[in-house]
Amino acid sequence: MVKSISGCKCNAISSKNGTLMWERDAFPFVKAKTCTDMSWIKEGELSLLEKISANILKAGPMPKHVAFIMDGNRRFARKKNMERQEGHMQGFNKLAETLRWCKHLNIPEVTVYAFSIENFKRTKDEVDGLMELAKQKFERLLEEHENLEKHGVCVRVLGDLNMLPLDLQQLIAKAVFTTRNHNKCFVNVCFAYTSRYEITNAVREMAWGVEQGLIKGSDVSEALLSECLYSNNSPNPDLLIRTSGEVRLSDFLLWQTSHSCLVFQSVLWPEYSFWNLCEAILQYQLNHKSIQKARDLHREHQALQQLEADRACVVELLQHHGNGKPVDSQRRQEALLHYTACREERVRDFLEALKHKRDSFFSDLCSESLLA
Amino acid sequence: MRTRMALMYSLLWRLLLILVHVNRALFSWLHVRIQSWKGRLWERAATVLLLPISLVGFPDFQNNLNHGPDANAKPITEKRTGGCRSRCLSDGKSLKKIPVHIGLLVAEEEPSYPDIANVVVWCMAVGISYVSVYDNHGVFQKNNSRLLEEIKRQQQDLMGVDGSMHSVEFLSSGSDQHQHNVVSCRPTVRVLSPDDGKQSIVHVAQQLCRSVENKERSFKDINVSMLDLLLRESKNIPDPELVVKFGPVNSTLGFLPWHIRLTEFISLPSHRNVSYEDLLGALQRYGACQQRLGHCHLLLMKKLPSHRL
Repeated sequence: MVKSISGCKCNAISSKNGTLMWERDAFPFVKAKTCTDMSWIKEGELSLLEKISANILKAGPMPKHVAFIMDGNRRFARKKNMERQEGHMQGFNKLAETLRWCKHLNIPEVTVYAFSIENFKRTKDEVDGLMELAKQKFERLLEEHENLEKHGVCVRVLGDLNMLPLDLQQLIAKAVFTTRNHNKCFVNVCFAYTSRYEITNAVREMAWGVEQGLIKGSDVSEALLSECLYSNNSPNPDLLIRTSGEVRLSDFLLWQTSHSCLVFQSVLWPEYSFWNLCEAILQYQLNHKSIQKARDLHREHQALQQLEADRACVVELLQHHGNGKPVDSQRRQEALLHYTACREERVRDFLEALKHKRDSFFSDLCSESLLA
Repeated sequence: MRTRMALMYSLLWRLLLILVHVNRALFSWLHVRIQSWKGRLWERAATVLLLPISLVGFPDFQNNLNHGPDANAKPITEKRTGGCRSRCLSDGKSLKKIPVHIGLLVAEEEPSYPDIANVVVWCMAVGISYVSVYDNHGVFQKNNSRLLEEIKRQQQDLMGVDGSMHSVEFLSSGSDQHQHNVVSCRPTVRVLSPDDGKQSIVHVAQQLCRSVENKERSFKDINVSMLDLLLRESKNIPDPELVVKFGPVNSTLGFLPWHIRLTEFISLPSHRNVSYEDLLGALQRYGACQQRLGHCHLLLMKKLPSHRL
């Protein structure tokens, strides 16, 4: 707790002075010493040049949701001859800094790939180190919760928590639970996550709904599947950034980024700068029109497909009930409207039940940890 | 005051965008000029030095230098048949690694059939077994017979009379998809549309949910490998290792979301008038990416940022 207060103080000085550049240069040593345990929120204004550039960019279309694959921590550590764990620490600090930039650029939502299910295959040493880091950071988050409230930061964790050690699960649940009503900015941390697993889990949830009798197999649609993903509370990302020069998605948000702007940058994540972010946003702005067009096309196509599916179901129903008698078009239209309304109601109830199931998973974990 | 500032910023933004566009246009113009200049230079050089010698001498060089292929590039217009085929084959062998399955993603308005057919034929000639062609309007899939015709024609043109050696297995996700069994080692061309992407995952989900509805299985049985198996539809086609994206839009535009988990994306400016050297360059970059050569690898990335998706 003491540590966190000292960290805040240091930040507060910089924001009061207003001239962060000067402050940063004047007390680099002080800053490095007092802020070793870096927090989730970095305060402070942009420098003048950064501010002007931010304002220029903001005159164009801005992404509402940016996803990051924060790649290059290990390579950075190797390059600088430091411990691997130190590289991961620096990576986390860069995340806090990036969140600050995003705040100044009016980007309300950020999703980051923190730990893939595949990462469990790394050496035990490294996995343990990463778990320890995560534990520290979520503890820190709970300590800072007043500050998070002030900034309205809602933290969500996407992934299968069951794969994690129980104490970490409980910490995460507590963090998610305490920030769940904040609504100014959103940070989604993908932990124990892969996109294929997420999609499979969504299918499993829908199958659960079918088994419970909440929905029918024919109610399964693209829109419903999207609603069953871990990311169901967020809009799809507008921009996905991967650092360190790799040009693949590595099983990250495959479903959600099908119409996002992808930007691959060669800089290592701990070296990521405000200007790198500006470059990526500029790329997004250059692509904005054509991607928007593709999105609209896709949305139309999706609506058409839903209509066709409903029609097919109605035809089957009418044949079943009408004993093969021909049905006039007006009655068919009425039946279609009725069927659509019923389906929508089923889906609504199912999603309600699913939400309840997920919420109680978190609240159970929280109360368990209180008992312990 | 505030509105004036806003106006100024939006003007500055427009200016910035124009600058970037000009920069891009200039870059691609220079690229074309340099290529044609290099092509002419090597044409001359090749007539002086004997071409076979340079063919033997260069493979190692090729792997390290991005523009290595230009070294033994004979303009395709000059000699279209047999020579071209053997050249493709030798290029394929000289590459450190070629993908088994390549995706060609056309992210441009008004697709050009002859150009994309060219790329398909080159891919097959280099030794790639599966080629998937995609555009987000589904134009190629709607007119897949036209594309097939074009591919056959280009094959005759480029490969000479013994094009039969590279005859094409043509899969489309129409109603006839289950009639094909890929048993031969012939190259396979698939033409895909957005319906093969998310929609195919939805179909599998429906299939699984129906089986739960009929009490054939429990929801707990569903897992990643089950979905993966169903999405392969009994055709044992591997996931694409490489997608070459044509056009200025930096997006997958719905290209097979399930299957691009580990796919590398490499971007080329346009599929119009795309040259064999462009494709070979992309394949070489793919090989370089796989190698993970540390600094060397990063340098290569830095040199080619505008081409990457």
